Amino acid sequence: MIHQYKQGGYNIVLDICSGSVHVVDEVAYDIIALFENNSREDVLRIAGEKYPEISAEELAECYDQVLELKQAGKLFAEDSFEPMAGELKQKTAGVVKALCLHIAHTCNLNCEYCFASQGKYHGERAVMSFEVGKRALDFLIENSGSRRNLEVDFFGGEPLMNFQVVKDLVAYARSVEQQKGKIFRFTLTTNGILVDDDVIEWANRECSNVVLSLDGRKEIHDRYRVDYAGNGSWEKIVPKFQKFVEARGGKDYYMRGTFTHANPDFLNDIQQMLDLGFTELSMEPVVCADDDPSALTEEDLPIIMEQYEKLAEKMLEHDKLGKPFTFYHYMIDLTGGPCIYKRISGCGSGTEYMAVTPWGDLYPCHQFVGEERFRLGDIWEGVTNTNIQKEFANCNVYAHPECRDCWARLYCSGGCAANAYHATGNVTGVYEYGCKLFKKRMECAIMVAVARTRGE
Amino acid sequence: MERIKTIETRNLCDSAKNGGCGECQTSCQSACKTSCGIANQQCESKESK
Repeated sequence: MIHQYKQGGYNIVLDICSGSVHVVDEVAYDIIALFENNSREDVLRIAGEKYPEISAEELAECYDQVLELKQAGKLFAEDSFEPMAGELKQKTAGVVKALCLHIAHTCNLNCEYCFASQGKYHGERAVMSFEVGKRALDFLIENSGSRRNLEVDFFGGEPLMNFQVVKDLVAYARSVEQQKGKIFRFTLTTNGILVDDDVIEWANRECSNVVLSLDGRKEIHDRYRVDYAGNGSWEKIVPKFQKFVEARGGKDYYMRGTFTHANPDFLNDIQQMLDLGFTELSMEPVVCADDDPSALTEEDLPIIMEQYEKLAEKMLEHDKLGKPFTFYHYMIDLTGGPCIYKRISGCGSGTEYMAVTPWGDLYPCHQFVGEERFRLGDIWEGVTNTNIQKEFANCNVYAHPECRDCWARLYCSGGCAANAYHATGNVTGVYEYGCKLFKKRMECAIMVAVARTRGE
Repeated sequence: MERIKTIETRNLCDSAKNGGCGECQTSCQSACKTSCGIANQQCESKESK
């Protein structure tokens, strides 16, 4: 299977199963499009009619180049991967390597669009005790097999509302990691309200990544990200985030925004982030019910698509100015990306990755917390709901019937199980709106990578 | 005339031989938190590089 598109002045041809990327001229673009369903004679005749200025010899040469690429397995490669689909998850069955610790099911902001229902996940307010957190870390160590790098995210609600426990848990992990032969990588996600010098110093020492929530323009951010009195949080958090990022001294961070029906023109919000001096950016489509006022609509779609294209152009402009920036969804390493096993097995939610509630229950991921049917077990007994875990273990790209004919399947790997469940009621469904956005993002990401590879 | 320029990429078919170590990031958890795109993750296998 191939996918062809034109963007940024390039004619791009993706060979899906080999992962090859070709940049071609108009003639080759047309010949490739005709190649599979036409004879050599027909392809050359049709191309000759369209390009009378090009000699028959040249067209034949181009055809033969396409044929050579096919024979080399770089065009029209067959999808022979299905028998391997379950292998990676089988091989790693029972191994847990990442946990999302729900340190606080409470929040000091009251964002209407919050997928976690203002941090409470449709339940009671709660904070994680040190004992529960410590047991979660022990559970991770005990179940991580030979995995050396273990990832732990402090998440909420707002995790800094329970900062002492966060600090104590990291101190505990550091005290045992050497002896256990593990390396912990911590991530903190925060809305910034409680960020102070103590938090900055601690996070820059202990966290390999921090995710800082900022939606961009003040009026956009303050539309949803308000306190319980209804006051916007932008003025309060932006100076803190600037100080935080400066102090990180090059360590990883993401400014992570959400765009909604209120700002499908989210490039203005990305520009605002850049104007504030941030360069590591993530801007995510809102995750909410269809009837929520913040939900993205069909009318928003063409605007969003255009914004993604303009964002790609902006990245290349910034490269030229010597001021490059990163957009999370456009990160793609064409030579060092994931292997085929990873690409067909998809997200590790429910198998290698789980979320832990403040009271120690295990869920397949942070987006399933509060959905009782998905409770996997707890950190003392481990996974007891093996039927649900099997659903996730079997959730590979070939488990989604809609993905079989999709060119993007080896880039998204079947997509997000939570998005699929919330859109269709089934983790092996597909969230079609999200697919449209994903495909656009991949086209843009590959175009940017192509331009960068060619030094343009 | 060169009408087709092939960009250097990791050959996915070949990665069937040396891939599958399972060391890479497992989900979106340390980043966007609301959707998983596998393509933008890094391979963490030292052997395949």
